[in-house]
Amino acid sequence: MVWGFPSRFGHMTLRRERLLVLGVILAVLGAGCGGGGKLGVKALSQQAKSLQSLSAEGALLAQDAVSGKTTRIYTREHSSDLYKAASEAEASLKAAKSEPALEPKLRRLTLLASRVRADLKRLGDASKEEARALGRELQTAAEESQKIGEGLK
Amino acid sequence: MSLKNVLAVALGIMSAIGGFVDIGDLVFNTQAGAIFGFQLLWVVVIGVVGIIVYSEMCGRVSAVAKRPVFDLVRERTGFGWGLATLIASEVVNLMTCAAEIGGVAICFQLLSGLPYRLLIPLAVLGLAVSSWVLPFRWIERVFGYLGLGLLVFAVAAIKLHPNWGQVAHGFVPGSHSGDSLMVYLYFVVGLLGAAMTPYEVYFYSSGVVEDRWGRKELGLNKVTAMIGYALGGFLSFALMIAAGVLFLPRGISPQFLGTPALAAEHALGQVGLLLALVGILFAVGGAAIETSFAGAYNLAQFFGWRWGKKERPARASRFTLSWLVIFALALLVVMTGYDPVKLTEYSVIFSVVALPLTYLPILLVANDRAYMGANVNGKLANFLGGLYFVVILVIAVAAIPLMLLTHGGQG
Repeated sequence: MVWGFPSRFGHMTLRRERLLVLGVILAVLGAGCGGGGKLGVKALSQQAKSLQSLSAEGALLAQDAVSGKTTRIYTREHSSDLYKAASEAEASLKAAKSEPALEPKLRRLTLLASRVRADLKRLGDASKEEARALGRELQTAAEESQKIGEGLK
Repeated sequence: MSLKNVLAVALGIMSAIGGFVDIGDLVFNTQAGAIFGFQLLWVVVIGVVGIIVYSEMCGRVSAVAKRPVFDLVRERTGFGWGLATLIASEVVNLMTCAAEIGGVAICFQLLSGLPYRLLIPLAVLGLAVSSWVLPFRWIERVFGYLGLGLLVFAVAAIKLHPNWGQVAHGFVPGSHSGDSLMVYLYFVVGLLGAAMTPYEVYFYSSGVVEDRWGRKELGLNKVTAMIGYALGGFLSFALMIAAGVLFLPRGISPQFLGTPALAAEHALGQVGLLLALVGILFAVGGAAIETSFAGAYNLAQFFGWRWGKKERPARASRFTLSWLVIFALALLVVMTGYDPVKLTEYSVIFSVVALPLTYLPILLVANDRAYMGANVNGKLANFLGGLYFVVILVIAVAAIPLMLLTHGGQG
């Protein structure tokens, strides 16, 4: 092959090589995304951890709201951030599929995410009494998420 | 030392304490504490000693040579290396400035309840006006002193009653528990990067020239760098300890800039919360100004433009335009809606990659008798400078692979 004038054969090889490289890249990306949208043990465990974190943070915020340690604005704005993150977690869990053995855990986590999202939405404008109840619910949700996560190890 | 000098040292130290912590320190120290408890406290010590060593060195270089570091970088390393350093530092500066502006807008939102997207341009406007109107010393002092609100985290850390034996154990490197080794190493790299951010040394050395420090001020330079950064590092300890006590047992992994304030709120109530938010606001606001100025200093010093905050804007027009443009570009980045906390993580990791380009020329110039005369690096400065340069090289190579392997510390 002369530089600048690839032979037909050389050109084909180059194309095949490029297709191969593209294939490898797509395969790696696919594997990185959890193999075609299916949640594996690790990804599900991450979701459980993330939900535990959001609910525990919400519970702590609710506890501080009850004891008058926080401001109305901070409670509203911070719970709104937590609510948005919980909504995203819920949406991704609803859209996800998993191996049959993991399906019950995925369903439990999805239900839990819906509860956490709803609680965090209410927390922003909750009275002290409501905040107390929401804090308890969020704490329970955090413990349940933790259990689900530990069950996946 | 005269009373005037003592006062200058005290004021310098106070502004250094408030100015040490930026959004990178807030994010990485809190996350590290929430995941690994006190186990990474030793990394903060290493990072703080590193920034002291190199800040003292570049302050000394600027005071003796009467020229800022970037000017000497280009002269000493040539156009190609100088340009590579310039590009790398400008990219990191812009990312950091955008993250800090996002941080300012979030703090305003948590204090006022106004919409985040409305607060972003207002934050940029406020920072640009402050930069334009306030003299150089006042910018440092206003943001540094009000950033001292962050000391509330030290009180919170004590009030949360940590196990002091475990805290002391955290200052000794050893085996880890919690998340995986890769995540642990990712946080080692992130904490070092957050402590040794390049913009800090560029800003510091340009400040030395702006303040017309000379050989007489070498003692002041040493004291300010050592005590100021050491006490600033104390705030990093406080953030990590508070997160280790409050967030780790509950499984909270902080994803928001508002989360660290929860620690102050939980320990000290509303006053603690407000002091924390005001402290964060001014610490990240000051850092936003420092990054925009550091970017403008670098550009002006590389291309040989007239520069300096003390110059009238019309006389140093290209310098003034540069920091305004950096603010405008950072505004565009934040307005895309990209999460400032994620942006911070990327900016810190990319700054780690750029660290060798920043610190090698400083080490070379500080060792050059032609520039430094009798104030050339001593044995200790050389030993520490060389040792830290090896550390910097290792973490620069490891930073991106660790970020990819751990999905940004997620495991």
